[in-house]
This record gives sequence, C-alpha cells and structure tokens, in this order.
Amino acid sequence: MRQVLASLWFALHSAGQNFRRNLGVSLAGVFTMGLIIFLVGGSLLFTHSVDTVLQGQEQNASHLKIYLSDNASLAAITNFESRLKDDPRVISVTFETKDQAKQQASQNPSISSALAVLGSNPLPASLNLDVRKLTYLSQFNAEAKAMPIVDSTTPTDYNSDVIGKLNTVITVIEWVGAIIAIILLTISIVIIMNTIRTAVYSRRTEIEIMKLVGATDWFVRWPFILEGMLGGLLAAIFSGAVVFGAYRLFVQAAQGNLLSVPFDARYTITLLIVLLVGGVAVGAFGSFLGVRRFLSA
Amino acid sequence: MSVAVAERSAAPPQHALRPVISFHGVSKVYPNGTEALRDVDLAIHQGDFCFLVGPSGAGKSTLVRLLIRDEAPSTGRIFIDGQEVSRMSHRKLPKLRRKFGIVFQDYKLLTRRTVAQNVAFALQVTRPGQRHLREKVEEVLWIVGLEDKLDKFPDELSGGEQQRVAIARALVHRPRIFLADEPTGNLDPDTSWGIVQLLLQINHRGTTVLMATHNREVVDLVRRRVIAIDNGRVVRDEAEGSYLREGTATL
Ligand SMILES: Nc1ncnc2c1ncn2[C@@H]1O[C@H](COP(=O)(O)OP(=O)(O)O)[C@@H](O)[C@H]1O
Ligand SMILES: [Mg+2]
Repeated sequence: MRQVLASLWFALHSAGQNFRRNLGVSLAGVFTMGLIIFLVGGSLLFTHSVDTVLQGQEQNASHLKIYLSDNASLAAITNFESRLKDDPRVISVTFETKDQAKQQASQNPSISSALAVLGSNPLPASLNLDVRKLTYLSQFNAEAKAMPIVDSTTPTDYNSDVIGKLNTVITVIEWVGAIIAIILLTISIVIIMNTIRTAVYSRRTEIEIMKLVGATDWFVRWPFILEGMLGGLLAAIFSGAVVFGAYRLFVQAAQGNLLSVPFDARYTITLLIVLLVGGVAVGAFGSFLGVRRFLSA
Repeated sequence: MSVAVAERSAAPPQHALRPVISFHGVSKVYPNGTEALRDVDLAIHQGDFCFLVGPSGAGKSTLVRLLIRDEAPSTGRIFIDGQEVSRMSHRKLPKLRRKFGIVFQDYKLLTRRTVAQNVAFALQVTRPGQRHLREKVEEVLWIVGLEDKLDKFPDELSGGEQQRVAIARALVHRPRIFLADEPTGNLDPDTSWGIVQLLLQINHRGTTVLMATHNREVVDLVRRRVIAIDNGRVVRDEAEGSYLREGTATL
C-alpha cells in the first residue's frame, strides 16, 4: 500500500513537473488535441443531426404493402398480421381488403374507368406495414416472397431504387464521418506521441539513471502516460464545452429556419462522455508509443 | 583527503565455489560491424578488486555494458551470480541491475535536485515508499565524505565531489558489484586518487569492484588485479599488476 501510494505520488509529481517544464510544448499539444476533439465531436454531432433529419424522411419512405393472394384464407391472413404486429421492426400494420383497395384506386379517374370496363376487381387485398428503419423494407420484401398467402406475381410494392438511393446517402454520410474521425484520431495520437517525446528528451538523464539503478519499465512509463492522460483530459474538457455550446447555437439557428433539428440531450451527454474517455485514452496510448522507443534498449 | 587509505588485505581473497562474474568466449560486434570484444574469458570472484585497463577504444566500456546487459553479446555467455545474463529476458533486467552500482566519467547527476535528493532518487524509483530513506541517504553520504553537503546542488560542488555523489547514489541500494567506467577521467590526479581510495574502501567492505581506467599512475600505485584489453582482446590478467607489462612499454 505504502509502496503503491509512493509510486503514484512519484508518477503524478513527475507528470506535473513535465507539464510545467515543457509548458509551451504541452499547451500546444493540448490545444491541437482540443481542436481535433472539437472536430471529432462536431462532426459526430453534425452527422447525428443529419441522420435525425434524414430519418424523418425515412419515416415517409418506410411504408410497405404486402399483396395477398386472392385465395388466402382469412385465418392465415390474421395469423400473418398478428405475427407482423409482434415484430419489433414494425411500427404498425393495417389490413386493406380488395374493396378498400378498389375504392382507393378509384380516386384516380383513369384507373376508375379501367376498373369499370373490367367488371371484376383485379386489385389484391394487402397488409400495409410501417417499419422503423428503411433498411427493414428489403428484409420484409424478401420474407413476404416466401409466404404462400402472398401474391406470387407482385408480392409487395417495394421500390428498391428510391429506397436504395436514400440508404446510400445515409451510409455514405456515416462512413465519411467515421473515416474523418479515424484520421483525426490518428493525428492526435501522433501529436501526443511527439509531445511526450519532448518530455522524454528533457528527462533523458533521469530515465537513464532510472534504468541503471533498476527501475522497472512501468515505473519509467507511468509519469509520461499520466502526463498524456492529463493533456487529453484538459483538451477534452475544453473542446467538449465548445462543442456543446456550438451544438446549442446550431439547434437554435436551425429552429429559426424551416429545418427543425431536435436537441438530443441523451446523445449529447453520451458524446461528451465518449470525448472525455477518448481524450484520456488517446493521451495514454500516444504517451505509451512516445516512451516505447526509449525503453526498448 | 579525509578518507583513510584502505588497507591492502594480506591474505588472498577467499574464492567461493563460483565466480560472481564470468565470461565464456564472449564477442561483441556492433550493428555497424565494429568488433569491440573478441573471445573474452574472465572470472571475477566476490570481493575482488579489478582494474580493467587499455587505451581508448579497447572495449572497456563495451565490457561494462555487457555486464549490466545494456548490450547483449554477439556470441558467448556471461554469468552474474550464476545467472546467465546474455540471454536474460527484458523483464528480468531491473532485478539484475539492482545487483550493480555503477558510475561513469560523467557523473549523470540531476542538476535540479540536491545532493541528498540525487541519492534518494535511486531508492525512490526502485523501492518506492522505502522507510528510513533519509537515514540511508545520510549514511552513504557520510561514507563518501559529503555529510556536510546534503542540501547543495551539483553545480555547487567540485568534480571530485560530484563523482562522490554519484558513488553514494550507486551505493545506496547496497550493490554486490560496483562498476566504475573511467570514474577519474575528468579529475585531476589528487582528486582521482581520493576517488580510487574510496573505491578501495568500498571493496574493503566486501563489495566486488571493477574499475575501467586508462589512468596509469593510479593503477601502478594500487597494485591490484589488472585485466588489460587491447583491440577487444584480453591481453593480460595479473593478480598484482601494473598498467603496462612489467619492464616493457606495451600493455
Ligand atoms: N554503440 C556503438 N556502436 C558502434 N560501435 C561502438 C559502439 N560503442 C563502442 N563502439 C566501438 O567499439 C570499440 C570499443 O569501444 P569502447 O568499448 O567504448 O572502448 P573503451 O571504453 O575502451 O574506450 C570502439 O572501436 C568504439 O568505436
Ligand atoms: Mg570507455
């Protein structure tokens, strides 16, 4: 216990000393890290906002009609309907009879006259689904095709083209966001690494002595890792505050315009926590890499 | 000099069953191709005092670096205390290095710390939370004759005093083997003599001492075991030798 406390004190003391002795480099590192965390946080929040708006669009696009075969029994239809109702992917299901379909279609005059000529009702009954996500549409489309009670010639009104495009847009935005985040993350690791190298360099005699008298690698490493964590934490606190403020302004500005971006408190809190933990983790990892070369000898 | 001249022990050292340091066919070739040591065989016993002599570039420092496993030999085997260090894993090095006390020509003192803090540092980083730290530090500083310089900073001391601080730091964890690589390289003859006497005194307390040097006067005055290296080879190993081969001008 005494030993652990003494080690911890030594590490904290050295970390603080490093930070102060190389104040210029340390602050530059914290500032750059902060900028990067701001960019990561900002881009994540932006992507999230765009996602939210697009998901609103998705709601409109996520209807699916499953056409039923004329000789499907009512029992089988009811059975299928209740199964769909229990599916977590589904928001709502309504049953549309052949007559309702005809009435609906008759609102269009040209279809109405065509139906009059035919005499009989060629329109199938259908189950109309509302699903939670755009991507579920293709899944239901595939599942419907396998059902015997579903019309085999035209199983659904699924239009893969439009939906696919919307899907692509969302996927691309998510990927671009992720790639930018990874690039920025790598840059901040390199920055921390170099900040720590400077600290290691200014302490080279101390490290040399530590190794000569038989200090363990971890004992040498801890002060630098703590210093990196401290820098990452400071950077995350400052940039997190800025990101939070910027997001609020953005939401307010957007509400004045047509586009309504909701303020997502839960996402924001999660994001701030992720930024803090991420800043500290990146700081620790960058420092680990920064001292590694010195210790391998 | 305040330090008393160490007595030369009359009886030959009582050799234990196995030497504390042994080299078997050790060669060292640096990555750039320099062959710094060639086929070295050596045995040093507990309590020995040894000079390692030879001109600059002979391979003395390389031998010291191999001992503390700062470098690994290219071929051959090295044993410390019966433990093979030539193939020792990186993880075991701290424990190995705690068996040694080591000083160099440059004192490697931390300029922002006081004398006492410099010495305490060695214990703080190897045995954090050590009890009676202050007493231990004061004791070794007394041994090296600096008990009145505890709170001075290194740049307030003379070269000889700085080397004594380095020696105190190397002694504070009570090493079994004391290595000194050209400890008098930056010192004038009188001061050098004081340092060598201190090393003899440390040896007198039972610690094995190996001192690499090309300081001829010192070696010739002390007349202890001399291992001469030239061009990476051990060319002479005498129990009570002088710097040069008796009656010649060569190593
Ligand atoms: N790290 C190294 N890389 C390459 N060559 C080295 C290195 N260290 C020492 N040497 C070479 O090895 C030889 C022995 O050097 P050294 O052991 O330092 O000799 P000494 O201590 O006796 O002066 C010299 O030729 C020197 O140039
Ligand atoms: Mg040398």
